[in-house]
Amino acid sequence: MKVTYGWLKDFVDIKISPEELAQKLTNAGMEVEEIIYLNEHLHHVVVGKILKIERHPNADKLQICQVDIGKGNVQIITAATNIFEGAVVPVSLPGANLANGIKIEKSKLRGVDSEGMFCSGEELGIDEHFIEGGSVNGILILPESFKIGQNIDEALGLDDVVFDVGITPNRPDCMSVIGLAREVCAVTGQKFKQPDLSYVESSIPADISVELKSQKCSRYMAAVIKNVKIERSPMKIRQRLFAVGIKPINTMVDLTNYVLVEMGQPMHAFDKKYIEGDKIVVRNAGDGEKIAVLNHNTYALDHNDLVIADAGKAMVIAGVIGGTNSCISDETKDSVIESAVFDLKSIRLTSKKIGVRTDSSARYSKGVYFASAEKGMKRLLHLVSELKIGTICKGVVDKNFGAPKTGVVKSSPSEINSILGTQIPAEKMVEILNSLQIPTVLEAGVIQSKVPDFREDIENSYDLAEEVIRIYGYDVYDKGEAKEPYLGWKITEGDVGEKLTLERKMKDALKFAGFFEAMNYSFIPPDAASKLLLSDNRRFMIKIANPLGEELSCMRTTLAHSMLASLAYNFSVGNKAVKLFETGKTFHPHSLPLTELPEEKNKLSVGAYDMEFAEFKACVLSEVTESSLSFKLVRSHEPFLHPGVSADIVDASGEVYGFFGQVHPTVAKNYDIPKSSLYAEIDIDKLLSLPEKKFVIRPVPKFPIVDRDLAVVVKEEITNEDLENAIKSACGKHFYDVKLFDVYRSSSLGEGLKSMAYNIRLCDENKTLTDEEVTDTIAKVLKALKFRYGASLR
Amino acid sequence: MQEKLNDILQRALEELIKIQNKDELGEFKVKFLGKQGELTSILRGMREVAPEDRPKVGALVNEVREKIESAYSAKEEEYNKIELEKELAKSAIDITEPGKFHEKGALHPTTRMFNKLIDICVAMGFKVVEGPEIETDYYNFEGLNIPKNHPSRDMQDTFFITDNILLRSQTSSVQVRSMENMKPPIKIISPGRVYRNDSDGTHSPVFHQLEGLVIDENVSMADLKAMLTSMMKKIFGESTKIRFRPSFFPFTEPSVEVDVSCPTCHGEGCKVCKGTGFLELLGAGVVNPKVLEMSGIDSKKYRGFAFGFGVDRFAMVYDGITDLRNMFKNDIRFLKQMK
Repeated sequence: MKVTYGWLKDFVDIKISPEELAQKLTNAGMEVEEIIYLNEHLHHVVVGKILKIERHPNADKLQICQVDIGKGNVQIITAATNIFEGAVVPVSLPGANLANGIKIEKSKLRGVDSEGMFCSGEELGIDEHFIEGGSVNGILILPESFKIGQNIDEALGLDDVVFDVGITPNRPDCMSVIGLAREVCAVTGQKFKQPDLSYVESSIPADISVELKSQKCSRYMAAVIKNVKIERSPMKIRQRLFAVGIKPINTMVDLTNYVLVEMGQPMHAFDKKYIEGDKIVVRNAGDGEKIAVLNHNTYALDHNDLVIADAGKAMVIAGVIGGTNSCISDETKDSVIESAVFDLKSIRLTSKKIGVRTDSSARYSKGVYFASAEKGMKRLLHLVSELKIGTICKGVVDKNFGAPKTGVVKSSPSEINSILGTQIPAEKMVEILNSLQIPTVLEAGVIQSKVPDFREDIENSYDLAEEVIRIYGYDVYDKGEAKEPYLGWKITEGDVGEKLTLERKMKDALKFAGFFEAMNYSFIPPDAASKLLLSDNRRFMIKIANPLGEELSCMRTTLAHSMLASLAYNFSVGNKAVKLFETGKTFHPHSLPLTELPEEKNKLSVGAYDMEFAEFKACVLSEVTESSLSFKLVRSHEPFLHPGVSADIVDASGEVYGFFGQVHPTVAKNYDIPKSSLYAEIDIDKLLSLPEKKFVIRPVPKFPIVDRDLAVVVKEEITNEDLENAIKSACGKHFYDVKLFDVYRSSSLGEGLKSMAYNIRLCDENKTLTDEEVTDTIAKVLKALKFRYGASLR
Repeated sequence: MQEKLNDILQRALEELIKIQNKDELGEFKVKFLGKQGELTSILRGMREVAPEDRPKVGALVNEVREKIESAYSAKEEEYNKIELEKELAKSAIDITEPGKFHEKGALHPTTRMFNKLIDICVAMGFKVVEGPEIETDYYNFEGLNIPKNHPSRDMQDTFFITDNILLRSQTSSVQVRSMENMKPPIKIISPGRVYRNDSDGTHSPVFHQLEGLVIDENVSMADLKAMLTSMMKKIFGESTKIRFRPSFFPFTEPSVEVDVSCPTCHGEGCKVCKGTGFLELLGAGVVNPKVLEMSGIDSKKYRGFAFGFGVDRFAMVYDGITDLRNMFKNDIRFLKQMK
């Protein structure tokens, strides 16, 4: 909401600077987001009078002027042709930085000193809207009444300061000059000067009728103005509208906008001759009813939209935009003025649906109160009669469904202090509320506040408490006036919770293993499923109705896409040895389109390139071993993993808790990542569902452990797991531990064969093993390996 | 005999001083202290000494031997030390070569800030409660006093899945769920991911919040101020100040924006705080009694307050990260700087 300092001054005496006022308003919750000094390019430009003009001795087209600038005379060389001795003109002096970018400095023109420059309207950034002659091509000749030496911005009335104020949705009343002026009163302690709502009616009766056919309009007022003067509005009105960002057009249109800004009441002006039957009908649009409006578009409406019509046609999309069939033009003679209250939801929906946002729809969308229509209408009629731009007909039509009841809020100083934890004196509370024009009395310890019509947001003690504290000042808590903190609080137990605890453990483990934590959007593109080679039954993804773009339109069902894309990004910029992990949710619809909330699963993803598979596997499995899961590895069927270099982590029943492996070569290609890239995903929720990990403690061996190394040659398809299990069972009660320490392949071994070297550790619970026993056990092992897997000693 | 021994001692000490290396030291040991050494040969000649003098001579020999041995040991120790030093010098490695095992990775700045905030809150007696990211309109809006088509909906651009199901735009949704399920005193925090249909240099469509809610019998704005002050001090240091500015949120009344003194300049004014000395870092307020009632909590008996952190922004301020885009790009050249 933009307002000007000068405009506010119409309603309250302000004795502090714009900067101080801005600070006070911000502290009271009316955040001044920006102070705009409208005309900085007019600084160092003053009103001057040309005393004498002489020819330049060295140049035909230049003239030397002596100019009175109030505090003395200056000499200015000019090529201007429309100047004359005695002319009052704008003079820019050294330091000025004009609207067209020209910087003024002292200079010499053909050997003669020049101490400034005369300005045109364009150079001052103004046109006919600001002053007669503003658009003339040549030096702006000012009225002789201008005071010589005065700064030009003051002389032209352009020294106003604009505040851009952020208005919170609970305060639609402050989307107006008078609303903010009320706030100014409260923060400065000044009295509010009510806007003048008086006007002079003629005896001519208003020949217009209004019919309300929709509940979406709670009040509709119409006035008739005859013989309107459609011309340029007075300077002050044009300047103010311009300052708050509204383009001045003509008297009638400007006045409706002026009242909108000043009173917060949207107004509309019709050309009366286009209102068929002199009758205004407020009704729902017909389905498919079309209307051409002032933005040069035509919109098809339906029964959810409200229109202002005459006996036949729709003339206005209510509260949003006027039609071309009934608008004010230069030829308008008689006008009908509308001041109405529409249902904010209806206006919001229509404005959103047709994509048209106007000052009027913006205002209606925040809510306009019942009495506002009347105040706005009266203010407009006041301006019409003051500026004498038409004859106001007798009788303003006022159709409505009855004024809402305004209530009284009861509270007490102790309740307000209890909410705030303060000891603000009761009288101070009453004073503050009254300063905000919330009529308040204190009787027998009860605060009674009569809610003014423009403050529909005030409903209870909490609302009153907020009004009190925001004006009293939040620095109350820094002054030692507040209550002792946590007095009377009950003790509660803090708890991080199991999920976060597990996630933190996993993250820390990966961090120490050299991985960096990634964070991706939860959105993936629809084609992620095909890039990941997902089967059809895994392509059900939740789509966002209003996504930022196709690439960000689906909710992820796996973390794989995000991870592989992150690897791809790092690869594309040449980063080496990248190891990443991410925790996040995946989203799984029960049915599509969604009718209930989907299942959300907490997952961990791990991705890397330039890393050995074995190392990656160990890192991933160390995450799982934090839980009580006793798992085994089976070949994975994840379509985006290499079928031969990947595994699922499953429990005894085959339930999958996660998987890891090298990415499928096709997927690597789809994402432009190295073929050897690795990916793993772990289901955190499933790990959380397991009981806490418990340990079975064996006694530490009392007798020495004997080490034997054994290398056997087997076929490629025989797995380490096969051999280890066989060794374990062959060792029987002498088994202590077994570990694969080398795998060797060579042509000398033969095609399809490999040598597996194991370190076998033997021990007996009750005695020291003899050499004989050890040799015997190893022989058993070799025999078993030979028998079951065709192994031969290497 | 006495003279002879003194002579041996004299010569031994003189020779010891002249010794240049460990080999000579070995030779010295053989010469004086060895089995064929001079002292031993004197002992062998003991037979020639009168029996009554033998103990005396024996004692003398031992005395000399001890003196020589101790001088020898000192010299030997000296050489051992030199040699050890030589060896140590030889075996020195380049300590600036990278270590083996794994080079450490790092947590995301947002996670680190989450951990910090959560730990602070849990120590203050808060319980962590999480909720779904895809939410119903009720929990994200209506239950928080934000009716459909109400102007306060304009405060957040929301991603919708259907008319009634959306991506939560605030972790406040968890407040409503918790109030329905728990009985006062309630003291919860809900960390999590939220979504807004907004993307530019300072807005990410995905970001993270931590919402706190306290409901009890004696809760006021003053407690809120005290608690937030203490939290901010724990994060940004003891000299941190906070300041309340009136604001509006539909689910709190009164509502405040909370400014925290700039941790970069400590309130002096700098580039980070745009010269104001303060950063607008969180929103808070007393829970609107309507919200309590909607969730079945007696607003006559209980009162609450709530606060919400933008965790990504906190992390950026804390770590001095200036470009929001880095937070979701996962470039290890960025992440590595937080090891």
